[in-house]
Amino acid sequence: MATQMQGAGGLNTPLLAAGGIGLVASLGVALMALMTQGHAAFNTSNDGVVWGLPVAVYVFFVLTSTGLTLVASLAMVFNFKEFYPIAKRCVWLAAATLIAGFASLALELGHPFRMLWAIPLSFQVSSAMNWMGVLYALYLVLLLVKFFRIEGGDWDSGASRNFGIAAFLSVIAAHGTLGLAFGMMAMRPFWYDGLLPIYFLATAFLSGVAFAVLISYIAYGLDQDNMPERVRSLMTGAMPKLFATVLGIVILFVAFRTVTGLWSNADGLEVFHHMVASPWFWVEIIAMLVAFLILLSPALRTQGSMQLAASLLVVLALAIGRYDFVIGGQVVPLFKGTWVEGIISYTPSTTEWMLALLAVSLMLVIYAVGERMFNLSAEPAPKK
Amino acid sequence: MAKWGMVIDLNKCVGCQACTAACSQENTRLPGENWQDVLYYTEGQNMTWLPRPCMHCEKPSCMHVCPTKATYKTEDGVVAIDWNKCIGCKYCMIACPYGVRFYSDSKSLVEPDVRGAFAGDGQHAWNPPYRIPEQFEDWTHGVGIGPKGVVTKCTFCYHKISKAPKGTADLDEDNPATKEYTPACVRTCPAKARYFGDLDNANSRVSQLIRDRGGVRLLDQTGNKPQVYYLTGVGGVVPSSRAKKA
Repeated sequence: MATQMQGAGGLNTPLLAAGGIGLVASLGVALMALMTQGHAAFNTSNDGVVWGLPVAVYVFFVLTSTGLTLVASLAMVFNFKEFYPIAKRCVWLAAATLIAGFASLALELGHPFRMLWAIPLSFQVSSAMNWMGVLYALYLVLLLVKFFRIEGGDWDSGASRNFGIAAFLSVIAAHGTLGLAFGMMAMRPFWYDGLLPIYFLATAFLSGVAFAVLISYIAYGLDQDNMPERVRSLMTGAMPKLFATVLGIVILFVAFRTVTGLWSNADGLEVFHHMVASPWFWVEIIAMLVAFLILLSPALRTQGSMQLAASLLVVLALAIGRYDFVIGGQVVPLFKGTWVEGIISYTPSTTEWMLALLAVSLMLVIYAVGERMFNLSAEPAPKK
Repeated sequence: MAKWGMVIDLNKCVGCQACTAACSQENTRLPGENWQDVLYYTEGQNMTWLPRPCMHCEKPSCMHVCPTKATYKTEDGVVAIDWNKCIGCKYCMIACPYGVRFYSDSKSLVEPDVRGAFAGDGQHAWNPPYRIPEQFEDWTHGVGIGPKGVVTKCTFCYHKISKAPKGTADLDEDNPATKEYTPACVRTCPAKARYFGDLDNANSRVSQLIRDRGGVRLLDQTGNKPQVYYLTGVGGVVPSSRAKKA
């Protein structure tokens, strides 16, 4: 029983330990720096990048949460029953990644506690950030309600299904407002795009699929042989095909967006030239292409090690992509004149990296605690 | 109610930065936290410059993105920040097309960081010996040294202009009746390149200058519609918008 509760491979305890150590270390270093230096401990600056790595980390994690909910919704909203065996684990990880993202953002804000009353009481209708905060908070509540419904064995009652649908709809709206928070910025051409929420949706779904694959292997000791039949059947059937499809769509998004940026003379889009000159951009592209080739091959895409490799490559590519996206919109100064010689340089500080470690660690701890407390492999009892 | 605005005559501006220094002194800003700045650049083979305060836009994108309504438009047309409501998310700094906003908790733009020598008193972000008098501190309009963790910007010297008698068309340092209500950058300009007054009053000096000498607005294509106009003196009027009606 204990083995089952902790995952067949027994990886839960090392994950919990790693997360705990990371959490204590990152919190210790970050809080010390923030208490003594404030946000001067960041390498963000008044004449350059004002949203640094912690915001990129936030975007990465909340969109991963979005994607995990989309994966869970395949079963719980759209009734693709083959996804039931991983749905509960995805819901819990969605909550963990959302909380991790918000932790990074909270420590980036000047007054995080003031946010709790100032946003709902002021309610600036025209601010995408206002809607993003409200909708992601609503989403978290609905996600947890849905989780505890299914934890209580209630997968399919009308109320339970409605909570699942509400969580799905709220996260579609929430991720959309996050996309709009960037996409509506006409003065930042690198971001300005009415279809940005759709780009976020595609990349969020990819992030969710990659994390769902990763966590499914971690839960079963990184070995397909440990998986129950229905999980193995998903992992060798629909999952890699879904993974390949979503990855293909994201590759097209990145390719067309980059080509448009490189072609255009519009002021502010010169950052694309700067971006492609960085080796990290090519790491991102190659990682996605290699993962795509793995997933295209019928022989390779069903192998556990290959699926793990593909998901790790995609997570790496998405992390680079999120960083390039958030920072890229700011490195060309807005008030641009001939006095601006080039691109603003920005490298995250140690404190900012600690916030990234904090988010990763928090995700690991919440996930591992959930794996210990709940049976995340549960699925609805077969109908008689 | 007036709609305050500014006109800067680029033919007269000598780029001396007196406005920048006066603003910094008047409002007790950190070194480098230039609410008002003069930006130097080269145009062809010539060096030139552009004075740049906050534009106090008619349609300020900074205000619309603020999730807490901390940034707002006063009745007399000034874009102000309520430091009691600002959460320091910096979205307004992202959304301002003119780069005029500063985060009070950021790394100092000028080394050494004087906040080290004049550490904050718990309420203020720093605590210099010479500072804006306490009676002018007005956090609901972003006037004063201000706390940590909020965004700051030019207030058009709100502590001065808001005291001007109602119906005043121009705030001019040469007029003893309005001298004390005139923004510091306008008052100190040795070349008299700056004019400040009511844009809604057709007879104000700023309205006349915009009309007669073809005042233009910076990056007008952003649609923010600044209330700061420039006189370039080198040609005709640049339309403020491609649309026939603004």
